Amino acid sequence: MIAGINPKRYHCLVSAPAIQLEHLHKRYGRVTALRDLSLDVASGEVFGFLGLNGAGKTTTIRILLDLVRPTGGRAAVFGLDCQARGLDVRAKLGYLPGEPGFYGDMTGEATLDLLASLSGGTPDRAWRATLLDRLELSMADLRRPLREYSTGMKRKLGIVQAFQSDPPLLVLDEPTEGLDPLMQDAFYSLLADARVRGRTVFMSSHVLPEVERVCDRIGLVRGGELVLVSTVHEIRSLAGRRVRVSFAQPVAAPASWPGGCEVIDVSPRVWDLRVHSGLGAVVAMLAALPIADLEVQMPHLEEILKTYYSDQPHVSALARLRT
Amino acid sequence: MIRSLILARHSFRRTRPVVIGMAIVLAGFQFLLTQVAVFLMRNQAFGLLSSLVPDFVRSMAGPSMVAFMSFSGVVALGYFHPIVLASLLGLAITIGTEPAAEIETHFGDLTLARPMARHDVITRTVILLVATIASLLVVMTAATWTGLLCCTPTTADRPAFALIRSLATSLGAVALCWGGVAVAVASGARRRASAAGATAVTALAAYLVDYLGRIWDPARFASRLSPFHYFEPMTLISGDAVNGSNLAMLIGIGTAAVAIAYARFSRRDL
Repeated sequence: MIAGINPKRYHCLVSAPAIQLEHLHKRYGRVTALRDLSLDVASGEVFGFLGLNGAGKTTTIRILLDLVRPTGGRAAVFGLDCQARGLDVRAKLGYLPGEPGFYGDMTGEATLDLLASLSGGTPDRAWRATLLDRLELSMADLRRPLREYSTGMKRKLGIVQAFQSDPPLLVLDEPTEGLDPLMQDAFYSLLADARVRGRTVFMSSHVLPEVERVCDRIGLVRGGELVLVSTVHEIRSLAGRRVRVSFAQPVAAPASWPGGCEVIDVSPRVWDLRVHSGLGAVVAMLAALPIADLEVQMPHLEEILKTYYSDQPHVSALARLRT
Repeated sequence: MIRSLILARHSFRRTRPVVIGMAIVLAGFQFLLTQVAVFLMRNQAFGLLSSLVPDFVRSMAGPSMVAFMSFSGVVALGYFHPIVLASLLGLAITIGTEPAAEIETHFGDLTLARPMARHDVITRTVILLVATIASLLVVMTAATWTGLLCCTPTTADRPAFALIRSLATSLGAVALCWGGVAVAVASGARRRASAAGATAVTALAAYLVDYLGRIWDPARFASRLSPFHYFEPMTLISGDAVNGSNLAMLIGIGTAAVAIAYARFSRRDL
């Protein structure tokens, strides 16, 4: 437990969903940014919010923060309406914007102090020092004006300001943009710790391997509509595994294939299949054949979601996940 | 309110170099004017100066021209000279448009993502505006008074402190009026440059409308629409007391503009 953080503070928050969006709608003039977006994020969950540029991710986040007012629908955080109880909501969250607007003439330390004082309460210096240490920002760095910071250093400072009050909900917009791979790992480790402490994380991202690595569930928004909400595991399992079989001698294709088996390409020496169910039936069929090599590939989230990003017809199995 | 003060302290730290620089320049200018007045007095040049003014200008300015061509008039020039007026209004507009700057730079995303009400941003701007303009006027007044007390012959027809105070109050009122207008414009803008530009162009237009009304009778009615119509330093130099209704009009315009700013900023998308 972090010094100065009272666990009782979070006890009352557990009963309500961390984030509840009900039929959220937002128009900017004639442009519709969000259409009937409904979503629940449970307490303690790490939720990835995906979508292309202009899909509505940032608008959703800004509605949660009451920086943008919805045209219709309702957003709530821990059961508190984001518009009617904005101050209470924002007291419970830490926010990392996509473009943190730091002033170049301020030092990192002055920026963190100012933002901590606006958050209210007394900042926990030991916790801040831990964050700085893990993200490899030294005190000497903090004393420099921000105009001398690199993009990555500014991003690290942004992460520290979002985490420094150890809020129950972290809303992170493209958190690893500009971070080098080592710092990305340090950030993932911070997220893992936040999850262990029961914090909820709502993060938007373009980086699908990152989402695959850290998120429990993902939501995919396209053209302002939520087109997919699922666990990473479910998406993978329904997308099917790719099985590539090489034979030592030419083999004739069977008259019928086992259930859940989709043929991608078949030649006398190589079969390329996608298996949506368990592999048992396929392995039983192959047992009597002269197999030279067998390769099984787990589907990458990136491949699957690209079909959703584009406007192509969706894979039928994935469509069932739509909520 | 506490968060407004925290933000105000932060904003003051950032604007401090400009404000201090401006205070030094304006104070220097006020001090210099006292010495110019001493120079003119010693050379008995007020009469000569007055004779250089064309007749039509003298008739347009009326008795205030006589008052202006005096020791007090030259000292008082620092409180209505167009450069001083433009400098103070420029600073007021710059401070007043800070809400738009914070939206433009996304700094507002960081501050307003915290448990801080939107009206705190406007309150902070008003606090900073009033404090900065008041500080500058105090420094200017102090510089004038220092010049008069330490480097002016006792025989000089020194202006009364009440006159300097009245001139500073009028100048402060007109600066706060335009500062309020700047806050109102900025509360609905996404770019500081466009908010400041729009306010500055409006102020210039209002100044010209007022000027036109003063020199051309048919335009006199239109000049009432300009806030500068209610800024009359020459009547103060002529010996009139501060016109309370003029001050009330200027402060009223500024206050109304700030009220609009509160309403606009609390409803807009950021």
